[in-house]
Amino acid sequence: MKIVVGVKQVPETDSVKIDPKTNNLVRSGIQGIINPFDKNAIEAALQLRDQAGGEVILLSMGPDSYTTSLRDGMAMGADSAVLVSSRAFGGADTLATGYTLAKAIEAIGDVDLVLFGRQSVDADTGQVGPIVAELLNFPQVTFAETVSLESENTIVAKRQLDSAVQDVQVTLPAVVTVRKELNTPRYETPLNIKESFEKQITTWTENDLNIDFSKIGQSGSPTKVTKVYEPTKELKQTTVLPVDPTEAVSELLSKLD
Amino acid sequence: MSITNDQNQMLIQMIKEFTTNELAPLDMTIDANGDYPDGLLQKVIDTGLLGITLPREYGGAGFDYVAAAEALEKIAVGNASMAVTLEGHFKTIEQFIKYGNKELNEKYLPSAVKRIFAFSMTEPSGGSNPKGIATRAIKQGHNWVITGDKIMITNGGLAEVYCVLSKTQDDQMAVFVVDKDMPGFKFGKREDFIGLKGVPVGEIVLNHVVVPESHLLGTIGEGLEIGDNAHADARVLMGAVLTGITDHALQTAVSYSKERKALDTPLYQLQVTQEKIADIAIAKQNTQALYQKGAQNKITGRPYAEVAAMAKSYGSRSAVAASDKALQILGGYGYSHEYPVEHLIRDARAMELAEGTIEKMNFEITNAEIAK
Repeated sequence: MKIVVGVKQVPETDSVKIDPKTNNLVRSGIQGIINPFDKNAIEAALQLRDQAGGEVILLSMGPDSYTTSLRDGMAMGADSAVLVSSRAFGGADTLATGYTLAKAIEAIGDVDLVLFGRQSVDADTGQVGPIVAELLNFPQVTFAETVSLESENTIVAKRQLDSAVQDVQVTLPAVVTVRKELNTPRYETPLNIKESFEKQITTWTENDLNIDFSKIGQSGSPTKVTKVYEPTKELKQTTVLPVDPTEAVSELLSKLD
Repeated sequence: MSITNDQNQMLIQMIKEFTTNELAPLDMTIDANGDYPDGLLQKVIDTGLLGITLPREYGGAGFDYVAAAEALEKIAVGNASMAVTLEGHFKTIEQFIKYGNKELNEKYLPSAVKRIFAFSMTEPSGGSNPKGIATRAIKQGHNWVITGDKIMITNGGLAEVYCVLSKTQDDQMAVFVVDKDMPGFKFGKREDFIGLKGVPVGEIVLNHVVVPESHLLGTIGEGLEIGDNAHADARVLMGAVLTGITDHALQTAVSYSKERKALDTPLYQLQVTQEKIADIAIAKQNTQALYQKGAQNKITGRPYAEVAAMAKSYGSRSAVAASDKALQILGGYGYSHEYPVEHLIRDARAMELAEGTIEKMNFEITNAEIAK
């Protein structure tokens, strides 16, 4: 089974600060980590590989520094990694990113399953997985809370939606985006860390992929971000009710009037 | 940055994550219960921590001593007991790597990723004094028959493979490897120590345990050298553990002094507090510098026994003092089981004794200085 896992490097949430003068994110000195949901996707891939055999390939698009996250993913146990990296991909929105990743997955070839985290914690769109599925014409399951192999070419997944749970069966190849409830990602191990430096990270530029140049980077991105701002915080008024239940109920009722 | 640095950095990041999630939350429980909770050691084993220093050819990760020591420092910030359990294991593996023959190492080292190894020297009649060793190894054909009593072994009872310092029939010192499953091997009593409550420190009793010739570590007559080497290796790692304990005291003191106010002034703004916090921070840096120099000297083939003794001598005294200062900052809370500082004092105090007392360290440091 050949499984590709989409990995995005995001700023470590704890270390993100906003410059009080400019209101911009302070990016310098911030450590990049694997998008936490993507770790669940890697764990799911490793479990499926351990069960059915095959390989787990990590795929990311971004600058050279993204190798840090790919290395981390390989230290969890993934077999190899592909980084799509070039200035030509810069400024890509979710559509251009999805297109580029889909083309990379085609280039990897014979992929049975593509896994993504449900969304990234920095952009929160949750769009890239579904876009990749559409472009590859693969069936897709989003927000999966369980994923298991039903037969050689079928998986079943449980989708957790706002008000319902949906059991879905799809034929491979397919795209699945996963929730954090799916599993607990394993720790890297000291041996896997050493081995991750012996595994391959292949870097592809736009010239290595069979792509339409108008669909990548800024030119392939219809989304325009006009403004990024911190929402104003409204201070809600809080009333602490008395400890005595009778008094508390009567005060509550008077507030509701 | 070199690949080694990148790898070491990843190891430390992974260790910090494991410590924060799995060890630090159990620190108080381990101290209160006097043992590791069920499943914790298995988690440590499953995460591959026993194999950090074990060479790749035996299934380990093959990290060097600098990385391993830093890993123990970070683990000790979360729980000093687990750091000491790993210290006892790592120092023993070092003796196999340096002195073990091929047959012995191929037989035992692959299991060191799953089984804990221990080094036993002390006997009821004495600790660091080799003359007091009563354990006897008698040659019979191609085997050695070992009889004796070893006490105060770090991980005694938990470890499955023991290096045993013994005297041969012609009074030569030698170290033999004994497996807990061998006939004649028995576990004895576990010490009821006041600190490092998770680490079992116990006794093994050997009654005519028969081992093949290949179980001899090094050569006959090399026993004391191996013992000294094991001490030096242990003391480097203990310096790391003591740095972690001091850091734990520092973090607790800093966080408390930011929250707690005296007459509307946060404690950290008071000079009496600042003096203590500065002392703790300086102690941490000093111990760290000493153990790191020891580890660096070891991996580059330079002498490290003296600086290792300094790391343990200075590190243990300053960690006890630092934890006591943290206790004073926390006041009544510091004296309570509700906060960790009181057990940090008890934990650090162990290392003023283990692997040679402070007095023994100072004796060795002085001898080294006199010989220069």
